[in-house]
Amino acid sequence: MRCDEFKPMLTGYLDGELTPERSAELEAHLAACEACRRELAELTGLKEELAMMKFKEPPDVELERYWRSVYNRLERGLGWILLSVGAIIVLCYGAFQLIEEMIKDPRVAVLLKVGVVALVFGAVILFVSLLRERLAVRKVDKYSKEVER
Amino acid sequence: MEESEATLIRRCQQGDEEAFGVIVRRYAGAAQGAACLLLSSYDDALDASQEAFVRAWRHIRRFDAGAPFYPWYATILRNVCVSKMRRSGRRRTAQLADSHADPSPDSDPVLLAERNERRDRIWRAIRELSPQHREVIVMSHFQGLSYKQMAAALGIPIGTVMSRLHNARQALKKGLAGEEL
Ligand SMILES: [Zn+2]
Repeated sequence: MRCDEFKPMLTGYLDGELTPERSAELEAHLAACEACRRELAELTGLKEELAMMKFKEPPDVELERYWRSVYNRLERGLGWILLSVGAIIVLCYGAFQLIEEMIKDPRVAVLLKVGVVALVFGAVILFVSLLRERLAVRKVDKYSKEVER
Repeated sequence: MEESEATLIRRCQQGDEEAFGVIVRRYAGAAQGAACLLLSSYDDALDASQEAFVRAWRHIRRFDAGAPFYPWYATILRNVCVSKMRRSGRRRTAQLADSHADPSPDSDPVLLAERNERRDRIWRAIRELSPQHREVIVMSHFQGLSYKQMAAALGIPIGTVMSRLHNARQALKKGLAGEEL
């Protein structure tokens, strides 16, 4: 094996992610290769430096505000779901009642009745197809995330 | 006495929001820091880290209560950040004609506990990496994910994680050397 093939293994070795066999293989190479030894030392130094860098811990007041904000979002999510479901039920019910009344009403012209029924069916079909498209796009989006990388 | 994470998660799974509050407070600092490294602004980082907690809460019942919370959360956070970057990338392309101002230090702060010149420089160098390199550096060095966990989060084989992380570290070394000149 050439040096280039050992290079990525240095990273795995440093992180303790190599199998014992591969570690042994690399160690044998390291014993003979000055360049790879130097590279390993550099990577070790970088890793140690990064290990010293810790994120700032926010003060209690800020943590409290942070949690309040998350909590509000949790509630809002449920609120939106209930609101949407409620709105759909109310709208459908109202529309159904209106149409039923109109169809029973002998004063309304037949042509208008046909028109309204067609309108409602058209709206339903468009809504369903739009919904299906949205779901399909979401699926593709999830898939492309993996392919892209 | 501090409650164990497994107990807290189990309480969350029964719908106990206060237990989730304990977890959120515990990891808020780490979450904001990581998001800030991944995204360009503090405001975006704050929003993404909170959004990721909301998503975690929604899926908490699917989570294995015995497993550590943070690596799982880190995966969710990464996905939120990726979609945020994609959205803002689109917005930025649309506004290409606008002035190309650098982000102010206020909107892009260094969220480190103990700072010095060298650490600030490393922070900036990480921010200069490509998104692909940046995320493996953040996951492995700042969020403590194993290769296996990163492979699952990114949907790539473990061998690819190793080579990508290797390239990312090389790029970071180069970036740091370049800044010293
Ligand atoms: Zn060598």
